[in-house]
Amino acid sequence: MTALTIDRINKRYGNLHILKDISIPIGQGEFVSLLGPSGCGKTTTLRCIAGFERPDTGRILFGERDVTRALPEQRDIGMVFQSYALFPHMTVAENLSFGLEVRKVAPADRQRRIADVLAMVRLEGYDKRYPRELSGGQQQRVALARALVIEPSVLLLDEPLANLDATLRDEMRFFIRDLQQRVGITSIYVTHDQAEAMVMSDKIVVMNAGTISQFGSPREIYERPASQSVAGFIGRSNTISGKIAEALGQDGYKVETPCGSIGATGPAGLSKGAEVKIMIRPENISTRSQAASGHQQGAGAEEAGSGENVLAGSVVNSVYQGSANQLAVKLGSGDRVIVDVNGRNPLEVGEQVALRFAARDTWLLAS
Amino acid sequence: MTGATSGVEKTIWDRLFTVLVAAIYIFLMFPIVLVVLLSFNSGEFLAFPLEGFSLRWFEALFSNKRFLDATLYSIQIAATSTIVNAVIGTLAAIYVARHATVARDYIRLIMTAPLLVPEILTAIALLFYFYEIRIGTDYSIGIQIGHIVVTFPYVFLNVSSALFNFDRSQEEAARSLGAGGWMTFRRVTLPAIKPGIITGCLFAFVISFDIFNISLLLKSLGSNTLPLELFDYLRFNFDPTAAAIASLSIFMTFAAILIIDRTVGLRSLRF
Repeated sequence: MTALTIDRINKRYGNLHILKDISIPIGQGEFVSLLGPSGCGKTTTLRCIAGFERPDTGRILFGERDVTRALPEQRDIGMVFQSYALFPHMTVAENLSFGLEVRKVAPADRQRRIADVLAMVRLEGYDKRYPRELSGGQQQRVALARALVIEPSVLLLDEPLANLDATLRDEMRFFIRDLQQRVGITSIYVTHDQAEAMVMSDKIVVMNAGTISQFGSPREIYERPASQSVAGFIGRSNTISGKIAEALGQDGYKVETPCGSIGATGPAGLSKGAEVKIMIRPENISTRSQAASGHQQGAGAEEAGSGENVLAGSVVNSVYQGSANQLAVKLGSGDRVIVDVNGRNPLEVGEQVALRFAARDTWLLAS
Repeated sequence: MTGATSGVEKTIWDRLFTVLVAAIYIFLMFPIVLVVLLSFNSGEFLAFPLEGFSLRWFEALFSNKRFLDATLYSIQIAATSTIVNAVIGTLAAIYVARHATVARDYIRLIMTAPLLVPEILTAIALLFYFYEIRIGTDYSIGIQIGHIVVTFPYVFLNVSSALFNFDRSQEEAARSLGAGGWMTFRRVTLPAIKPGIITGCLFAFVISFDIFNISLLLKSLGSNTLPLELFDYLRFNFDPTAAAIASLSIFMTFAAILIIDRTVGLRSLRF
């Protein structure tokens, strides 16, 4: 069942077309992230859902109910802001009580619900404190509690972790995700941090310049990006240009590249001769020193029938990153490829290496 | 080592600077201290040397009906100006901060004009205007409007700065929690800008209590504000009753500053 439907909304400010025909169906209890660089329209989309902005055209449905024209206070939303937006002149308990008083919840009931939600965000005993007496992470949890205590039908989060330091941010990701799953509330989360979107979301909406680049699960978006810009935005990736030489079954292709023929996976329906880019994630490439592998320089890329590709190149740069070494390898074609290798087994700059990767770990992008 | 280049230790320049600042303060505060001292002097004249401690001039002040009437009249005018400005100054600040778009800077300039235009010019302009619309100076309304106009910017500017420093997402948070526009204003916006309103109001009151030019030109017949009464008195008398009045005014100003500090804190005074 769809809890929330965004149906072809458009928004313009003067000449700027901020949102172009944005449609997103969101299921009951799903955690959906709107991800993209600043100015991509993700915040505007969230503000349209909240009712702080009104789309020029299109509809927004909460369940079956059309809320496109409804005021924010009529929508039954809970919202967490980047600045937390706690009421500074009210204690934690008064902040939480605000939404309940507006809803005319009886005092005894109010107290019980405030106590429950404070326990949920692990802030028991903080009810008499003022926001300025709390740390950033605690304020964040109060903001979350304030949004949840009214038991809204949708929880909206606008970059809530942007003001926290890195350690706390990591902790809060899991905290929010865990809480969201326990409450089972449909949530929409705006972020520009792809790692955050990856670990928290059921679905990610990748946005760019007012349009949706891709809508899918974190795995789909990481492994099967719809375009080069998505591949570039989510994690690190390498691309090698080529032409489709032959289709092999549903999604297998043989691609002709300057480095030789490479077996690759891609979306169905790519036609022979089409220009493509082969995307390979750095962690999916294994290396061996050329001397050890015994391969000849510039050997044919694909090892027949095995689904394994082997490319030869030379190491041009090596960066120690603790858990791994990041190598830059220059291929015979002149393309540079980033590879993660085990940090304990470094390869020297200038060394000849063989890069190995499976066809199933690649993905073809239209170029 | 020369000059103030050393880090922590105090140089001769630091000391000289301290002395200079102290001298400026003494220069500024001395007349005030003098007036207060003279008001407790038992001598007949507003002059040195001091002869002895006495409260007789305060007694004279409080038994003088004209001074009492003038004090009450000044308080009434100042209180009315304060209350009216609390409302229209706040509304104007909200309008300029939230709703004015293209003409915002011009509107802001017009709103603060009474601070920039010499008071006497404002007074003359209002005087002409009141005669033009046949109010003249027959009623208190003229002087009252004059005081409201001149003290308006104090509330306007203080509330504007409070609004400028206010994070509007608090209002959005209130709306998301189900509060309507009025409730959001009453329970979230108003408490946030209250320090600005209080500060602006206290300024408005003190300034209105002190205004001379406007009152001189616009006062209605038979009623004097305290500064005017004091001026009249000093033209023919030179006894320390005047100093007693001045002490009273100084006391009121200090009381106002104390109230600001105790309620909203002097640090909230920003323009």
